[in-house]
Amino acid sequence: MISFINSFKSEWLKKKGTVAFWLVIIGSFFIPLIMTARGLFYPETFAAEAKSSFFWQAGMNRNWQLMAFFLLPMGVVMATSLITQIEFRNNTWKQLHTSPQSYPVVFLSKLSVIIVMLLQFFLLFNVGIYLSGVIPSLVYTDIDYPQQAFPFKDFLKVTALFFIDCLPIVAFQYLVSLQFKNFLVPLGAGIGLLIASLIAVQWKYGYTIPYTYCPYNFLALRPSNGGAFPAVNIHYMALAYFVGFTIVSYLLYITKREKG
Amino acid sequence: MISVKVTDVSHQFSNQEYVLNHINLSVPEGSIYGFLGPNGAGKTTTLRLILGLLKKQRGSIEIFGKPFEENRIEILQKIGSLIESPSLYGHLSAIENLQVWQKIYQAPDNRLPEVLKMVELSDTGRKKAGQFSLGMKQRLGIAVALLHSPSLLILDEPTNGLDPSGIVEIRELLKKLNKNHGITIIISSHLLAEIEKLVTNVGIINKGKMLFEDTLDELLKRQYQTSAVYFDTANNQAALQLMHNKKVDARIEKERIVVPQLAKEVIAELNRDLVANSIDVYGIRPLDNDLESIFMNLTNN
Repeated sequence: MISFINSFKSEWLKKKGTVAFWLVIIGSFFIPLIMTARGLFYPETFAAEAKSSFFWQAGMNRNWQLMAFFLLPMGVVMATSLITQIEFRNNTWKQLHTSPQSYPVVFLSKLSVIIVMLLQFFLLFNVGIYLSGVIPSLVYTDIDYPQQAFPFKDFLKVTALFFIDCLPIVAFQYLVSLQFKNFLVPLGAGIGLLIASLIAVQWKYGYTIPYTYCPYNFLALRPSNGGAFPAVNIHYMALAYFVGFTIVSYLLYITKREKG
Repeated sequence: MISVKVTDVSHQFSNQEYVLNHINLSVPEGSIYGFLGPNGAGKTTTLRLILGLLKKQRGSIEIFGKPFEENRIEILQKIGSLIESPSLYGHLSAIENLQVWQKIYQAPDNRLPEVLKMVELSDTGRKKAGQFSLGMKQRLGIAVALLHSPSLLILDEPTNGLDPSGIVEIRELLKKLNKNHGITIIISSHLLAEIEKLVTNVGIINKGKMLFEDTLDELLKRQYQTSAVYFDTANNQAALQLMHNKKVDARIEKERIVVPQLAKEVIAELNRDLVANSIDVYGIRPLDNDLESIFMNLTNN
């Protein structure tokens, strides 16, 4: 366990100043910033919305709508690939594999850093949604604060489900990124699957594609969108894919003949 | 005691020819072992096998008297390495690069400035490693290898791309580490001249086979034994006959007479005898047989 913690700390340091690091920070505040600007430029609309008893749910929906279909899966594809590719890009696999760490520790600590970064993204995104709901009231003194109390439980539930739905993307991108030196391979695979998933959302068996779960989760939030909802529990499917991809990824990693 | 013992190791990539063929290698504790061979001889493959970067296919590798595979983590705790080009995170500074490895090796905080000072990179500040010159990168790579005060240092061509003063600096640093801290060092190179002033033991590899392994002194003895003197005369046959009469082991090679290394006085006497027997002597010169030539002869054969 101590070995894992030390390895995790080491992996965490490596992401400092990388594109993946900035992707999490900028990506998490991007949509909330647009929503804040909307509130500032259209104060009357905001003032009317602030009186609603579903103010926060509406805000959450608006933010997730833009995020769930493309930006979130795309961000996960890019961040996972970038973090995993740090070793290839810097020619450091050989140094990492001659350090006194077991291969499972190296594998899990890298994966854990990506998962923690994903959690970090969700946390900052929710903070951003909250700020987008209060900043207009702070700027315009004549606009009241939202009357509805902030629904922590709803936010937590929705975020937790989106987190689970992202896990298959993380695991698959991790698998591909560990195998190929060329960054374009995981990126190409990720974008390809993402586009396929956007097309497949309306398909009866779209749920078989592991990249469809974020859009499905959003459609579940707004049934009025008329999406073709799968008959299966997509969150269990997401977890199953995550476990499956992670096991395959680990087996491929551990049996690699050349380790740097 | 032996720090590294490689016994009967062979290796092939896919179904290609063997790149290592029954390699045996023995590195005594406290030595500086020069692992020499031309490019593509199998040096890096051997070192990668020793470090577990390649899966061993045949033979055995023992480090500190223990089989590597069964004791991988314990052994790697005592090894510092730099294989081929330095492994550095280009987006991090020198100190941040060291911090990455400090977490794993659990090296104390004061060790970071210490190793940076050792490789003269203390004043690089926040400059990213990606902006370093090749020499600075090599030195930082060595600093990473030294961070946890290893007992064995494995360096694969660490002076590649360095200017002459950089090579001297690295050489002096390694000598100091070996002398003051008793670190066993394996250093590979394709240039004997580059490391002959540094090493105590030598292993020469070519086309995947070990051609020579012994102390540097033994290699020097071989140099003396194989050195010779050329005689260029007007009548080589008559001169050869005269030398044989004087019990000198001479032979004709490429229209010159070659005799084994002789004392200066004996060479002068032979010259006098040749002239006295009306054989004109056009030239006498020693065979250029320095360590580099021995290395070339071993690797060319």
